[in-house]
Amino acid sequence: MDSKELKDLMEYVSRSNFAEFELESEGLKLKLVKESAKTAGSVGAGMMPQTIYAMPFPQSQMAPMANPGPGPAPAAQKAGAAAHPQGTASGEIYQVTSPMVGTFYRSSNPTAPAYVEVGTMVKKGQAICIVEAMKLMNEIESEVAGEILEIPVANGQPVEYGEVLFRVRLTA
Amino acid sequence: MFKKILIANRGEIALRIVYACRELGIKTVAVHSEPDKDSLHVRFADEDVCIGPARSSESYLNISSVIAAAEITDTDAIHPGYGFLAESAAFAEVCKACKIKFIGPKPNVIATMGEKSKAREVARKAGVPVLPGSDGVVEELDAALVIAHEIGFPVIVKASAGGGGRGMRIAQDAKELARVFPVAREESRAAFSIPDVYIEKYLPNPRHIEFQILADEKGNMIHLGERECSIQRRHQKVIEEAPSTALSADLRRRMAEAAIKTARAVKYENAGTIEFLLQDGKFYFIEMNTRVQVEHPVTEMVTGVDIVKEQIRIAAGEKLSRKQEDIVIRGHSIECRINAEDPETFMPAPGLITTYHPPGGPGVRVDSAVHSDCRISPYYDSMVAKLITHGGNRDEAISRMRRSLDVMVVEGIKTSIPLQKKILSDPDFQKGNISTRFLERYVR
Repeated sequence: MDSKELKDLMEYVSRSNFAEFELESEGLKLKLVKESAKTAGSVGAGMMPQTIYAMPFPQSQMAPMANPGPGPAPAAQKAGAAAHPQGTASGEIYQVTSPMVGTFYRSSNPTAPAYVEVGTMVKKGQAICIVEAMKLMNEIESEVAGEILEIPVANGQPVEYGEVLFRVRLTA
Repeated sequence: MFKKILIANRGEIALRIVYACRELGIKTVAVHSEPDKDSLHVRFADEDVCIGPARSSESYLNISSVIAAAEITDTDAIHPGYGFLAESAAFAEVCKACKIKFIGPKPNVIATMGEKSKAREVARKAGVPVLPGSDGVVEELDAALVIAHEIGFPVIVKASAGGGGRGMRIAQDAKELARVFPVAREESRAAFSIPDVYIEKYLPNPRHIEFQILADEKGNMIHLGERECSIQRRHQKVIEEAPSTALSADLRRRMAEAAIKTARAVKYENAGTIEFLLQDGKFYFIEMNTRVQVEHPVTEMVTGVDIVKEQIRIAAGEKLSRKQEDIVIRGHSIECRINAEDPETFMPAPGLITTYHPPGGPGVRVDSAVHSDCRISPYYDSMVAKLITHGGNRDEAISRMRRSLDVMVVEGIKTSIPLQKKILSDPDFQKGNISTRFLERYVR
């Protein structure tokens, strides 16, 4: 897609009734989000003063990469394959990130063997580590099938929300 | 004293708390959502932890994430700032269970004073005047009508869990009350998940006056005088000042006594604010805020007391650094809230600040966490900066505010600066001739 096609597309979307528009083809991923669609619903929710509700613990889940963050408006984000592997094709690298802040453990208890090692082949839904937050052991499952290439975090180390825990080479 | 404090907030108040900790030699931990990773409170804190995505409920309001961040950084106290978890009794309770000091009052005090109908009962039992109204929550329209006829129309229906004007409705007569009563309950349920409302006499033209309280954990309690916050729109404060032009020395003394009596009735600890409405020389307790207020700087300017440092010292078990007789009000201070919003419609106007130049010079203070090339996020509140001036008297504070507003540059987004300029040049404002309905002449 050249810049003129992109511009035409953006104009078309801005005139349309669509709130969001996504296109994926030949290694290109494009997402257009209208500013009005992004702010509706979120404005007010974060305004103060507000009443607090106790939140449930986040569920064990993978935080997908290429999170559409609050980009420039109108948000034309190119999530290129090189920058953020989407993890759909065999052979690509998928980054498993921490769904919560807490402490990273590679095994279910200090005497148990690690869930996975570098080189382990994992299945989708297989438990691969634990992130402990407020004394609760949250078992983290792999969202993808593939081979563990790298574990950048050491056992017992604190992790932030969104921190990379594993790099996985996807299998078909 | 604490070694490390985690700041469970963002924006200017998080930065304000970083400053206080630096002055006290305490290390700081900033927590932040993903889009806030480059913000100034993160940059100037000693450590930082990303606790979740943009949405507050999954980051700044997520109790388990905040606590987990405190645990992995080995924090011994948490300052909640204002908003977010600052008035969550549940959060204060969890902090206690995790042996992390919550910088604020005890959980049960937050719970009692956070429920407006209960707080009203506390004040009434302490002998402090409250507006005529219901004893606690009113559940049925019939009961509401009986109370309204007793106290006389107009009446106001308020959410017991309320704040920010939500769940609040005025009724001029029985017909209107029948219409708005279920609406207020529904709005209250939607905003606070409890439909409880209570009823008060509605004052048509009051002034909003609040008293700053400081209390240590050894039973010492003082007040730092009043703030006038009558310039508001839909119960959102726009300009605050200290002292108020409406109080005589005698009235000030009586209101301060009432404030202290109310706070003593719940054995209050740390910083808090007692809010009153004042009309025709009579004052009425309306609510208590169990946290540091947005407008705390005007009190700091006229008393010289650093309220945030006092909060930290109190939570660390220290005695109040001053006695009541040490508190002297010097000069006059005004605060203008500069928001990212359309000055005509008040609609939030988030976006990228391309140029930012804060004013300076004698008697000027700017509490802000913005800078050139920074984005005002649509996810959080729209405050850009608090512009505060101090002068030997009110006229000097006003002229300093006017020249500061003139040279303050915020480009790329719409701000409330034009509205603030209009208010500051209004002859009635300049004479101190104001009420909570003052802004109606400029905005609806």
